Amino acid sequence: MRFAAGVDVGSTQTKAVIMGANGGDAPRLVARALVDTGANVQKAAEHGFVVACKEAGIPAGAVGFVVGTGYGRYKITFGNAQMTEITCHARGAAFLCPGTRTVIDMGGQDSKAISIGAKGEVLDFVMNDKCAAGTGRFLANAADVMGISLDEVGPLSLRGKQPVKITTVCTVFVESDILSYLAQGKKPEDILNGVHLAIARRTVSLARRVPIEPQITMTGGVARNLGMVRALEQVLGATLQVSAEAHFTGAIGAALFALEKMDQSFASAAGRPAHA
Amino acid sequence: MKCLEIERTFDKYAEIAQDISLAEVRRWKSEHPGAKAIGYFPVYAPLEIIHACGMLPVGLNGAGDRLDIQYADARFGSFICSIVKTTLEMGMTGHFEPLDGMLFSTICDSARNLCYVIKRNFPQMYVDFLHLPHNPTSPATIELLRGEYARLEQQLVELGGLKPTDEALRHSIALYNENRALLRQLYAFRAASPHLVHSWELYTLMRAGNFVPVETHNEWLRQALHELPARTGKPRDSIRVVIEGSFCEQPPLDLIKLTEEAGCYIVDDDFILGRRWFTADVPLDGDPLTALAESYLNRAVYSSVRHDFRNPRHKALVEKTRRLNGQAVILLIAKFCEPALFDYVLFKRELEAAAIPHLLLEFEEKAFTFERLRSEVETFVESLLFD
Amino acid sequence: MSAKSEYRSQIHQLQKKLMERWYARLDEAAGTGSPPTVAMMISGNCVELLEGFGAVPLYPEVNALQLAIRHQSLEPILLAEELGYAADNCAYVKADIGCMLKGVTPTGGKLPVPTLVLCNFVGCNTYIKWFEHEAELQGAPLYMLDVPFFRTEHPRREDIDYVVHQIKETVSKMEELTGRKFDYDRFQQAVRCSAEVEEMWSRIKRLAQKTPSPFDAYFDAITLMGPLYVYRGTPEGVEFFRVALQEMEEKVARGEGIYDQEKFRLVIEGPPPYPYFRTFRDMFAKWKACAVASTYSTVGGLWEFGFRHDPDNPFEAVALHMLAHNVTNRNYLQRYDQIRRYVEEWGAHGVIIHFVKSCRLFSAGQGDMRDYFTRTLGIPTLYLESDLEDPRYFAEAQTRNRIDAFFEALEHAQATGISMSMEKPASSPALKVIS
Repeated sequence: MRFAAGVDVGSTQTKAVIMGANGGDAPRLVARALVDTGANVQKAAEHGFVVACKEAGIPAGAVGFVVGTGYGRYKITFGNAQMTEITCHARGAAFLCPGTRTVIDMGGQDSKAISIGAKGEVLDFVMNDKCAAGTGRFLANAADVMGISLDEVGPLSLRGKQPVKITTVCTVFVESDILSYLAQGKKPEDILNGVHLAIARRTVSLARRVPIEPQITMTGGVARNLGMVRALEQVLGATLQVSAEAHFTGAIGAALFALEKMDQSFASAAGRPAHA
Repeated sequence: MKCLEIERTFDKYAEIAQDISLAEVRRWKSEHPGAKAIGYFPVYAPLEIIHACGMLPVGLNGAGDRLDIQYADARFGSFICSIVKTTLEMGMTGHFEPLDGMLFSTICDSARNLCYVIKRNFPQMYVDFLHLPHNPTSPATIELLRGEYARLEQQLVELGGLKPTDEALRHSIALYNENRALLRQLYAFRAASPHLVHSWELYTLMRAGNFVPVETHNEWLRQALHELPARTGKPRDSIRVVIEGSFCEQPPLDLIKLTEEAGCYIVDDDFILGRRWFTADVPLDGDPLTALAESYLNRAVYSSVRHDFRNPRHKALVEKTRRLNGQAVILLIAKFCEPALFDYVLFKRELEAAAIPHLLLEFEEKAFTFERLRSEVETFVESLLFD
Repeated sequence: MSAKSEYRSQIHQLQKKLMERWYARLDEAAGTGSPPTVAMMISGNCVELLEGFGAVPLYPEVNALQLAIRHQSLEPILLAEELGYAADNCAYVKADIGCMLKGVTPTGGKLPVPTLVLCNFVGCNTYIKWFEHEAELQGAPLYMLDVPFFRTEHPRREDIDYVVHQIKETVSKMEELTGRKFDYDRFQQAVRCSAEVEEMWSRIKRLAQKTPSPFDAYFDAITLMGPLYVYRGTPEGVEFFRVALQEMEEKVARGEGIYDQEKFRLVIEGPPPYPYFRTFRDMFAKWKACAVASTYSTVGGLWEFGFRHDPDNPFEAVALHMLAHNVTNRNYLQRYDQIRRYVEEWGAHGVIIHFVKSCRLFSAGQGDMRDYFTRTLGIPTLYLESDLEDPRYFAEAQTRNRIDAFFEALEHAQATGISMSMEKPASSPALKVIS
């Protein structure tokens, strides 16, 4: 089996993935690792890679090619190449959920919508990278203010039947809105439902700049939040596909590119056609 | 205030004023099958011409807090005022249905681009842009504007309107002269007796006129003028303020209410300024289109969207405030409103030189929490009362 | 290894000399009151008119541009904000007014109080406010030359007449202010020079249709725009463009582009982020992307589609230029069409839309423009955001990320099926084993 790796260094967490392929078979996910990024991006990338290799039960040298992605991608010194997380998310989403035509990614600090082709190629994309209003940070702040853990916000929000109205777009000012509602005696689940809907509206509003076509797949860390998935579905008026590996989409895409590149160079070296 | 018949009507006007389904317009169209309704974006439009062609002018001032922007954000980016986006959103959610056309004019760059975005996305509508001139002193200007009005008239006729005779135009002008005279009288009444009419009442009465025929609106205005003086009430210890800067995107009704609750009497404002554009009657003699053009230039209020340095608007604001015994000016400006924010610089300078206290407040039409704005106005009022 | 693109040659030197001479004349006017100066806007500027008085143009926009490109714009912006200008007001205005209040200039020389503040209103409503403030704060006379917005299919006779009328009023006003008689022959000669310059400028622009393009029609156009606006009606301007055209033609003959190998051809819409001009340029150079056309270079005038000043009807020619042949007075849909023509006739791979916070004329509605190009025409389009003057609104990492993602996709599309070529970061060694 041939091995390649993708390392996705995000603002809060670093994801590393090992993909393997046998002969002409389709590639498969062999191992994954999740570590905190912290202040030292380089160390986080190396650490993630090492953990993933351990998970796979292979020595680091067995990995033939490494592609880095995410904001920290230029700092991955042991990598062979780097690509933007937009391109990697597109590829990863197409792999995880075949039939995907639109990707909605909500990360810790930015959100994006990507319109993709049949092979996961990027046709168009839009990003919200200057304002945290449609991102995980908004949720994290809301959770903080309410003294609820980030894991609980999703399920709790689903119990809200009368969502409160949140119009503020500022992730800092939403805190005072929430406190105000708590003081008014509003139920936490209604407040959280309102927060989720507000984020969903902002995200969908951004996403509408690209064609939104089924299948719509959600990727990124926030995809683990079922409340967020449901809120997005409600605003979109469509169902979303969410893979269990949503958080690793970027790293998987990077690893797939790494595999391809590795095959190219072997093929050209040996004068043989590359594996598909 | 003692409750009268008139009380119930203001709630009705408030509902009409904020109704984005344009129910009144739809009703008018069903009563006049085949007749057209022409929407106009702020600030000013020559409503008389639309009326004379047998059409209903419909004033659009944004959707306030009644529409969540879901689609318009994708077309207009950040740093753009809300009214541009909610107007487009209205279109993209089917609310333009009763309108056969829409007019825009030279008020600002965002509004002008909106005109053409709407033109592209709603090709079935008649969408036009009027060049309202910025050179009031050139002898050639009246002719240019008259020609622009003639062009509008021709477009409306091609759209299916009646070709208006001079008599028909004069008749329409007379009706709108009356409308403006009645509004002037109501404003004068409020300035003289601000404790007998709430600003939000005057505002909703005025804005409701955006959606009904001028004949109906004149009736409503006459009724108000007749009944309001019968109200009784005690004057409060409020400060007399002039509001400047809300000529296009409109502040939420609650914001107008809270300004008074916080201790202000609004003795003048520029809400829906286009309906009160002329300071005196448009003459009924001579060529009506020329009369309208000449009045636009020489019988007009000062405005942030019209250049006229014969009496610069920063001086005119101070004069007006003094004339109405205003104690302060509140610059109530929509977020991202370029013309108003630029004018603020010269207004501020002039108000400081004239030692008139002033407060700058930025608002969004779709806001509905006002804690901070309330505090700012209360603080301002306190600083003036306890000086 | 990030590539750099440069175009340095004779016309760069010539341009520097011309601009230095212009600033020197303004400094002279500030000191002695002569020659007379007229403050004007770049868009649809009627610089030919000034030749009839021997007057020198003063361009507040060029002032603002110079400040930003020399990284001097923040201080005057802050000063203007102290005076009451909003965060959301156009930063061009703030930088210029801030400088005026401080009495400084980007070059260190003095700028005169203009003899006349001539607001050539050609679509940009901000210009009206800018010049009202310029006149008010300096105590200079103001004339508002109101050019009707180009809102009909063809220029209307009424509109042309209105503008001609006002041009003649401007002439009377200048005679009054300068005590000089308007020299009609010199004016007509200036219009003649303009026509020649326009012809050469159009030919230069059309050379970008070649593969490779001999210059970048966005980043390099800036070099040519200065003389275009200041010297268009003069023999020096004609000479400059003669040299420029010759240089470009020679480059084309040699098959010389701005990179060793031109990989991508773009049309760019919107002004550049002047405080980050070099950085921004390098982000495209990395991908060997060259702009073959731009809308920003048509602010002063749109000549590549055939319009020329007609010296036999000089007043009307100037009016027509202001009314219909510059990008700012043309409506938004006409701009879509202009860009579409560039993509088709100049052969571009994609469109870059640069949204700038300050400028609503360019930027309000660019989301719809994007929709038109991607959805209706199927042309790859990238949407970027920053500001043209205020250095606080540029997110370098995010901008770079978006540009990289766009070219990754374009590259893949070009290669179709073959795996993308990927770039190693300069500092990375071969894969090493980590224990």
